[in-house]
Amino acid sequence: MNFVPFAFYAAAMVAYALHFARRQSMIGRTATTLLVFAALAHTFVIGMQTMDVGHVPFANATAATSTFVLLLALAYLYVEMTTDERAMGVFILPLLAGLQAIPALKPGHEERAALLSGPMFNVHVSSLLFAYASFALACVIGITYVLLFKEIKAKHLGFFYARLPSLQVLDSMNQKAIVVGWVFLTIGLVVGAIWTGQVRGTAPGDPRVQAMSLQDPKILVALVSWAIYSFEAFAARRIGWGGRRTAYLSALGFAFVLLNLVPISYFLTRSHDF
Amino acid sequence: MTSKSGLGTRDSGLGARYTAAMHLLLVGISHKTAPVELRERIDFHTRGLDVAVRELAPRLAAGEAVVLSTCNRAELYAASDQIDRARNELVTFISEYHGVDRTALTSHVYELTDVDAVRHLFRVAAGLDSLVVGEPQILGQVKEAYAAAADVRAVGPVLNRLFHSSFGVGKRVRTETGLGSGAVSVSFAAASLARKIFGDLKGRSVVVVGAGEMGKLTAMHMKSQGVQHVTIVSRTMSHAARTAEAIGGANAAPWDDLDAALAGSDIVISATGAAAPILTKARIEGVMRPRRGRALFIIDIALPRDVEPAAGEIEQVFLYNIDDLQAVVAENVARRSSEIARAEAIVAEEVEKFAGWLRSRGAIPTVVALRQRFEAIRRSELERLEFKLSALPPEARSRVDEITRLIVEKLLHTPTEQLKALGDPDTVGTYSEAITRLFALGEDRDAGSASPGEGEDRRRENRRVEPFARPKNRTGN
Repeated sequence: MNFVPFAFYAAAMVAYALHFARRQSMIGRTATTLLVFAALAHTFVIGMQTMDVGHVPFANATAATSTFVLLLALAYLYVEMTTDERAMGVFILPLLAGLQAIPALKPGHEERAALLSGPMFNVHVSSLLFAYASFALACVIGITYVLLFKEIKAKHLGFFYARLPSLQVLDSMNQKAIVVGWVFLTIGLVVGAIWTGQVRGTAPGDPRVQAMSLQDPKILVALVSWAIYSFEAFAARRIGWGGRRTAYLSALGFAFVLLNLVPISYFLTRSHDF
Repeated sequence: MTSKSGLGTRDSGLGARYTAAMHLLLVGISHKTAPVELRERIDFHTRGLDVAVRELAPRLAAGEAVVLSTCNRAELYAASDQIDRARNELVTFISEYHGVDRTALTSHVYELTDVDAVRHLFRVAAGLDSLVVGEPQILGQVKEAYAAAADVRAVGPVLNRLFHSSFGVGKRVRTETGLGSGAVSVSFAAASLARKIFGDLKGRSVVVVGAGEMGKLTAMHMKSQGVQHVTIVSRTMSHAARTAEAIGGANAAPWDDLDAALAGSDIVISATGAAAPILTKARIEGVMRPRRGRALFIIDIALPRDVEPAAGEIEQVFLYNIDDLQAVVAENVARRSSEIARAEAIVAEEVEKFAGWLRSRGAIPTVVALRQRFEAIRRSELERLEFKLSALPPEARSRVDEITRLIVEKLLHTPTEQLKALGDPDTVGTYSEAITRLFALGEDRDAGSASPGEGEDRRRENRRVEPFARPKNRTGN
């Protein structure tokens, strides 16, 4: 079922790349249309799964990835429509298509233990996924910022100069994405911590609950990324770390997020093995 | 136009009113054909485009005209069904309107018709025919020319469609190719760089170091691009004040306040005559510290240079000197020329589209003639039955009139659509001729006695219609 949105994402990826290279408005519109169809199909798939299991499917790593992809696609579409700027798509779409390949190739089984139901858990997962989608956007915007910055600095006004919006626009887009992401990350972490405290009381024997500590890689990496984003959102600009440095920070932060989202979820964590 | 071969030339029996298709005509001079002295004399802007087009339109036999005039070209576009006459009228108009001897004009004037004229206008609108290829103003000038003509109702369906298509071509070339991208003058390059760094230039402030001419011109250009605050800093306060006044809405600041002015600015234009760098790396580092990473764009247009090159290494400082800007311009010029082929491809595609439309118009005389023929038959039949109809009440008579009209409309609807949809001119010609013969459209006589005389007419006209005529005769016998 996840294959249809994946196919649309892949097609949109090709269209965005073509549009970036050739800058024909027809191809650009096609790319956006394909992405809208991908998001619609994806919403449908996730909606069906929600009806099937009775809740939004994010209680296993594969489903969470899929939901994350949809959130990122929606966030990107929002940015594209508000700024009328398609250039970023060429960087976002590979991420969407690549991550969506996981649920398309290896569908996970959504079996949620009783432990993992309840509003607290839902808020925890959904706000974290939303935060990660924001950070993904910020990372992509940051990368494009660095590319453009380097071209202007090196006085070689070429490929990216002709295609990207101004440094100022990229910088403020990046900042917005970071702040929004930080807010959701904080909510997700705080709610997660409170929820952990609650389930310690109700199900102390569960191996997952026992593993919920700072030693768990998933939790540790989440806190590291929170530290990075806190610094970026509130301190970096005050000490004169504008522009390129915050852009690098966005990329670094998202590297941690991605680490947490895929390899750690699948191989390392014991507390979040659902 | 190609439809001519199909419609007008093969059958002398066709009446002129059925074959008269509209043709496009362009007569003009440009930087490619005429020296600047002549172009100056033939500038339609001097007395206003509207005046020119208002004077031109009534002279033309068929009255569609647009006057396009820029500093590099003066072109008259016309649509007429009498092409040779119109051509003559246009040249006469240029010579009389500007008081230029006709013989002096002829060697510089170019004349293009139909598809060639279409291609020319599309290339002009795309910026392909400009002196500086891809320059953006020309599309606005084409729009202006059309608007002036439309205001005095000098455009008809052909020029209307032609010019709107040309706007589309200009827009497509601008968005789909890099032909218009990249500034091709130093001050445009500086402004476009500033926009790539700061986004919108509104609310940005510029400091000009030095009160010389170059700095003033660049500052004025920045101001025209939307920059809000301009501050002139010069060693001599009175020079700074004078330059600030010349720019208009600018401030002057004393030399001692230079660092403060720099600290508050986004763009610095340095153009002093100093022998040694004024803005050293250390000085700019000092200026940058309290800015907390806010970008500073320094344009050093002085020779020898005012800014230490090492200052460009500072994070968030973008330093461009005059050589860098000229290199950017040179790159842009080279890139533009590499985009020409893509722009030409778009023009060719759009010319093809327009030519298709123009060809479909080739069928219009036939359509009109066919409709007139049917209408004439309808009327004559109604007249023939007049003595029977006269007994009816007026409402019933008008109902009969309405019904017969509707029947004719319905009968003609499909053939009309089919005829208009035909693509290539030969097919249009063949169909038009067939219809002309089948319905004897060329015959300039009343259709009233259609039924009895029909068979004879057909036989006399052309063998090709016989296969259709024979079975009819047989069944009749």
